[in-house]
Amino acid sequence: MDAVSYTAQWTAAARAVETEREDGWLIRDELARELAAPRGFDLLDKYGGGGLLPYIAIRTRFFDDTVTDVLGTGEISQVVLIAAGMDARVFRLPWPDSAVVYEVDHGPLLAEKRARLARLGAAPKAKRVEVAADLAGDWVPALVDAGFDRDRPTLWVAEGLLFFLSEEQATGLLRTLAAASARKSGLAVDMVNRTLLRSPISRGFLDALAEDGTPWLFGTDEPEAFLAGTGWQSTQVAEPGQQGAGEGRWPYPVQPRERRGASRSWLVRAELR
Amino acid sequence: MTETLPTGFLEVRAWVLSRNPGLDSVGQDEDLIAARLVDSLTFVELVYVIEGASGVEIDFDTIDIEDFRTLGAIEKAFFGHATP
Repeated sequence: MDAVSYTAQWTAAARAVETEREDGWLIRDELARELAAPRGFDLLDKYGGGGLLPYIAIRTRFFDDTVTDVLGTGEISQVVLIAAGMDARVFRLPWPDSAVVYEVDHGPLLAEKRARLARLGAAPKAKRVEVAADLAGDWVPALVDAGFDRDRPTLWVAEGLLFFLSEEQATGLLRTLAAASARKSGLAVDMVNRTLLRSPISRGFLDALAEDGTPWLFGTDEPEAFLAGTGWQSTQVAEPGQQGAGEGRWPYPVQPRERRGASRSWLVRAELR
Repeated sequence: MTETLPTGFLEVRAWVLSRNPGLDSVGQDEDLIAARLVDSLTFVELVYVIEGASGVEIDFDTIDIEDFRTLGAIEKAFFGHATP
């Protein structure tokens, strides 16, 4: 597997750790431990600290809640997981009967995931469609070929992805999603701020990611404005520890937005402008 | 040995201890970052605690991480002298 696939493994490992908490867990992902092999736990140890574990738990729950809330309205039943990785939402969330979930990622990753899920006897709880594609290229035609309907509103899920892209690539991706969206489509996405990418105290973490071939590149201090420039109107921008984003679980105080020098993550729900 | 440490600096040491429950003491030369007593998310708090206690304004854009690596380094950089 390529370097980015190892990212899928360590985030799966983080979900496994959360699932195996004795109490107070935010998510349950019974498949995560198997999906994290072979390197997920080692990499998580290497990168861990700095709030990474609680962040992934909180982020996963935020995205779970977003999917559940958005599909609960009945207006959207088409979901696309961009760079789905080892995400097991199709197997663990309750889905309406009408739901179709497209998982877009590299072919080899999808094949490995399929083999593991088959070994585990995992049964999807919604119609699940794999879309093998290179997100660096023109991948929307592959999605359409797989059955994606441009005329139906879509919930796009881009979780743990944008920081691996350059600003240009992140902008391009979100514009691509907007262009492929019918009215009333939505987006769930997370980002980091520039301080997190620049802070000397993040250096060890960032250097380790870069050495492993998955550098973090993109961050923004103005998530609302950044999204607006890509065709999306944010409806919720939460930082970990705030209401609806792991309040009570985040082991750090939430720094006021105007306070300079704080490393931040943004958990975002948005609508097509 | 009798230490005479600036009161403000003691606030910084107290903050490190308060942020790490279970830690009884922290040495002047202990690497706060390597030991994960300060991490990327608590670092901003540390900076503000130092600013508040020392009166020194710290510019995030020109921070030298070595000034924050140990209590000894913090004392020297922001409280005017090093403990012998």
